[in-house]
Amino acid sequence: MSENIIVRVENLTKSFSRGSEKIDVLEELTLEVESGEFLALMGPSGSGKTTLLNIIAGLDTPTSGTVTVGKNLISKMSESMLASWRTRHVGFVFQFYHLLPVLTAYENVELPLLLLPMTRAQRKVQVMNVLDLVGLSGRINHIPGQLSGGQQQRVGIARAIVTDPELIVADEPTGDLDSKSADEILDLMGVLQKTLGKTIIMVTHDPRSAARAQRVLQLEKGKLVKDSRNFSYVTGIAGN
Amino acid sequence: MNNIEKYLLELLDSPLQLGALILGMIAFLAIIVFANSYLFYFRLMFLNLRRNIIRTSLTAIASIVLVFVITLVWTVLWFLNLVTSEKAKDFKAIITEKWQIPSQMPYAYEASLSEGAPSQEGDYKIDKSIDAMTWQFYGATIDPEKKTRDNIIFFFSMEPMKMTKMMDGMEEYSASQLDQLNKLCEEMVKDKRKIIVGTERLQAINKKVGERIKLTSFNYKGIDLEVEIIGSFPEGRYNQSAILNRDYLNDSLDDYNRKNPNSKHPMSNRNLNLVWIRVPDKDVFQKVERQITDSPSFTSPAVKVETASSGISTFLDAYRDLLWGLRWILAPFILATMALIIAVAISISVRERRKEIAVMKVIGFTPMQILFLVLGEAVMVGGFSGLISSVATTMVINNVVGGIKFPIAFFPVFMIPIDAIWWGPAIGISTALGGSLLPSLSACRVKVSEVFARTS
Repeated sequence: MSENIIVRVENLTKSFSRGSEKIDVLEELTLEVESGEFLALMGPSGSGKTTLLNIIAGLDTPTSGTVTVGKNLISKMSESMLASWRTRHVGFVFQFYHLLPVLTAYENVELPLLLLPMTRAQRKVQVMNVLDLVGLSGRINHIPGQLSGGQQQRVGIARAIVTDPELIVADEPTGDLDSKSADEILDLMGVLQKTLGKTIIMVTHDPRSAARAQRVLQLEKGKLVKDSRNFSYVTGIAGN
Repeated sequence: MNNIEKYLLELLDSPLQLGALILGMIAFLAIIVFANSYLFYFRLMFLNLRRNIIRTSLTAIASIVLVFVITLVWTVLWFLNLVTSEKAKDFKAIITEKWQIPSQMPYAYEASLSEGAPSQEGDYKIDKSIDAMTWQFYGATIDPEKKTRDNIIFFFSMEPMKMTKMMDGMEEYSASQLDQLNKLCEEMVKDKRKIIVGTERLQAINKKVGERIKLTSFNYKGIDLEVEIIGSFPEGRYNQSAILNRDYLNDSLDDYNRKNPNSKHPMSNRNLNLVWIRVPDKDVFQKVERQITDSPSFTSPAVKVETASSGISTFLDAYRDLLWGLRWILAPFILATMALIIAVAISISVRERRKEIAVMKVIGFTPMQILFLVLGEAVMVGGFSGLISSVATTMVINNVVGGIKFPIAFFPVFMIPIDAIWWGPAIGISTALGGSLLPSLSACRVKVSEVFARTS
């Protein structure tokens, strides 16, 4: 196994039961993601993109197969272990931001740090650093309702990176934004990957967003059908 | 000694209460020490409760009302439980007629019964000057033309100087209040026409201290007395009571009999209702009980000796169903209602916040942390409203209303005990925990993938 591989998915199957019917969302999927890579997952609705993302982020468990992130075999972890693991190793960016509406931007970003053994002063330094990075140090006392969609997503990204995780997973992070804000968010994600060396896995329907990624995976009916590392899949789209 | 000192001394006497106090102080210190780490959780709970201020307020108001009701109910039950609990030392016993309620014994029994009826060497003799008291019930109206509830006075006719020594509840009064009462009793001894009347009874009959009144009796027909009100009891359980020097009643009865030698007053031989004695322990009580029941002097009518607690229990028998209903139907029903109200409020809140709970799980909050967060919100509402309710209820009922007016047996009014201040938060927290357990479990079982599958 290459030292540079951060996510390794092997023979991953995820099935759901609906009555007597068994639905395979992911089938015998195998995948490796290198550390510091910006990966886009594309595919039609129901192809299993979000399910794959959830399993890699430790939010869901596979029916069979293994998922290793860093040195952790997360597919075998209990719910509590996964929760603790996620705090330190994964940052999650949602399509609809999902900030806690009663908390300020500062408090929303501070939330994951409360789960770590840190003093208030240490937390403050870290929160201010990431809010500065996303360009919101002037909005720390605003609650989500007082921020624009783009600003809320920046807070969401700040929350995802505040614990300095090696992996950031994003589920359609630009899906609810206008094109200008979407570009700003994608720029920011580019900075995270290039400057801070974060590994980013992003689910998207938008080819323009996917074009920002280094590598694009295409899923259909739970199977990996194209990988831009092996096929020159995105060249045409990037020019659009 | 003030009430706080008395309370602290009682605490030192009870290892269980002392232990609870020490644990409580340790918990309080722990909260202070770790407040910094958990401040955010408290803030988050508070903000979550504040986001739907109407729902939180309604839940709190409902809890306050229910804690108020249950404090009243428990006060009555607590007090009755206290007076019917057997004591091991220095307890009182009641001597009454054996086969009749109300007890009406001949006054001739008084001298011997007050001493415990010692008849031979080795018998235990009660010091009747300090450890015995007699009660003769004298009911009268101040307006014989128009007998209403408001112009009736019910007297304990007794030796005045026994009042502060023997009557229950005197320990609730301060030293200066007891001093004042003793001075009034001395005046009653000097002038047998002087009486003490509870503040509420005085208000009801519309009389003031210093006024003279004429009493027309309804149980001692023809024995009408002229008395002077010289004072009142301090606020509390004797607000509705009145004390008359027994000599005045007995002398008036003798006078009546002298004037009517051919038709003695019908109450002449039935004018001793109760004899109270105080004994040092169970063994002495049993000995005195034997002395009295074995004595041939008390056969017609026969008498019985009971501990005060069991005597009071006998009186309370008439209220048995009512008290059973209060204890086993009303109180549990109120507790269940409180738990349900909190359960509904927290369930709705959890349902509304499923996405937020899922996000917290994504961030790394464990199911247990989510559980505590939701339970914490419920406990915050329940505990806070319980505390407000019990403090307000205790202060208003004791200081403004003058106790719970729920006349049962000898107890016209019930003062809320100082312990009741802890009942509120205890009830609030326990019902909140009970009520929010299911919603909290449902919150900590939120499946992130399902929540976000619905969202997208």
